[in-house]
Amino acid sequence: MTKLEAKNIVKYFNHGSHKLKALGGIDLKVEAGDFVCLVGPSGCGKSTFLRIIAGLEKPDEGEILFDGRPVTETGPERIMVFQEGALFPWLKVQDNVEFGLKMAGIPKEERAKISNRYLDMMQLTKFADSYTYQLSTGMKQRVAIARALVMDPDVLLMDEPFAALDAQTRDLLLVEMQLIWEKTKKTILFVTHNVAEATVLGTKVAVFSNRPSIIKKEVENNSPRPRVTEDESLLKLQQDILAELRPEVKKSKA
Amino acid sequence: MLAKNFIPHRIIFYVGIVVVWQIISMAGVWPDNIFPSPYEVTEDLVYGASDGSLFYGIATSMWRLSIGLTIAITGGVVLGIFMARVEAINQTVGSLVLGLQSIPSIAWVPLAILWFGLTDGGIIFVTAIGAIFAVTINTYTGVKNIDPHFIEAARNMGAKGSQLITAVLIPAAFPYMISGFKQGWAFAWRGVIGAELLFSFLGLGFLLNAGRSLNDVSQVIAIMLVIMATGLVIDSVVFKRLENKVMSRWGLR
Repeated sequence: MTKLEAKNIVKYFNHGSHKLKALGGIDLKVEAGDFVCLVGPSGCGKSTFLRIIAGLEKPDEGEILFDGRPVTETGPERIMVFQEGALFPWLKVQDNVEFGLKMAGIPKEERAKISNRYLDMMQLTKFADSYTYQLSTGMKQRVAIARALVMDPDVLLMDEPFAALDAQTRDLLLVEMQLIWEKTKKTILFVTHNVAEATVLGTKVAVFSNRPSIIKKEVENNSPRPRVTEDESLLKLQQDILAELRPEVKKSKA
Repeated sequence: MLAKNFIPHRIIFYVGIVVVWQIISMAGVWPDNIFPSPYEVTEDLVYGASDGSLFYGIATSMWRLSIGLTIAITGGVVLGIFMARVEAINQTVGSLVLGLQSIPSIAWVPLAILWFGLTDGGIIFVTAIGAIFAVTINTYTGVKNIDPHFIEAARNMGAKGSQLITAVLIPAAFPYMISGFKQGWAFAWRGVIGAELLFSFLGLGFLLNAGRSLNDVSQVIAIMLVIMATGLVIDSVVFKRLENKVMSRWGLR
């Protein structure tokens, strides 16, 4: 079943006085339960594409279909995890995680029950009463993921959530992310510039070209899980993707 | 070490001032009724305290201040948020706010007397209008400086309309808003005392003016000391504490 469909998404950036064509007609079909990783040279608009799916930006042309219906605004069935987490510093961890539930008017005891489950899943229980500045970057991203999962969205949109993490923390979260995906059966779109990360996580890797970007290639990835970055079965795939990506990165630097 | 020495230094400084003051007044350079001794000022303070007039004055001024400041904070926060979120309001009302902010609160007194007569309402009006624009401008700056990801994340999680304002805009802008409250309080305090001087209708400002009309310099100085002390207490008990709490919660200090 097709969960999400992007049809010819075009987006211009304002670049001083002139307009820059960032997305040059993106077509993508995402089946329910897919874990799609989007890789591409920096500045190619992959994050913008994710924001358009989230309904936080509007495309200049084309449309996003969610369960066959066009997306017109942002909504809790498509939840975004931001690169820096975007956690609210005035709220404790638990209140951050419960934020969306509170907005939905769910009563306090109910909220606590739901949030406790996800705090436990993300191993955050003992940090429930901490403020976000007291957490490491890795912990903050766990909170951000818990906050997204609590909404029980159909689609999870993750914008380079592990970019700022150290290697060990990232490896740990890569394993956990696979477990979460298997356990929750969420459809996930995951933007990253790290090819190894993409091959570890994705059931499919979509390679963006340089601006104006299109999806240059989609690679299926059925290697057994749990995967780690160094898996030999992934090496060939990583090399294929890098071969596609390298000329695009060169063009973007030119 | 610095922190340890800080308090004794301060005490020595103030004791020094009082001693020098006493010496000058004892030297008889100026007559007593122009330059009273610290002893006479203390006497006036004790007298004012014992007949209750001092406390009644403080209470009256504080009552006016708290109503005026409450109006200023409520109005300023609402105005500031709308200025930050609606460009048309910023272009129109915002420019007017900048202009009005440059009017010293005391300059509103004639208008207040004409509109409200010599009433509490007039004094509260001066207090509120003197403080509201500082709150407005700081709230505006605070909301403008919110990390846009906070707002996007909140909208994404279903916050809209008034929810977005109370659950995100206000708490996210709060560190700036606190500065606005502190400035607003300082303006309001000046406003209430100034207005009371001119309205001559109860309160510390009235007592100050009463001292002047009785040629009682020691009462004037005594009331000035009370105004200073009250200001210091409110600043440290209410606003410094509030600021510290917010800053430490945000991890800013």
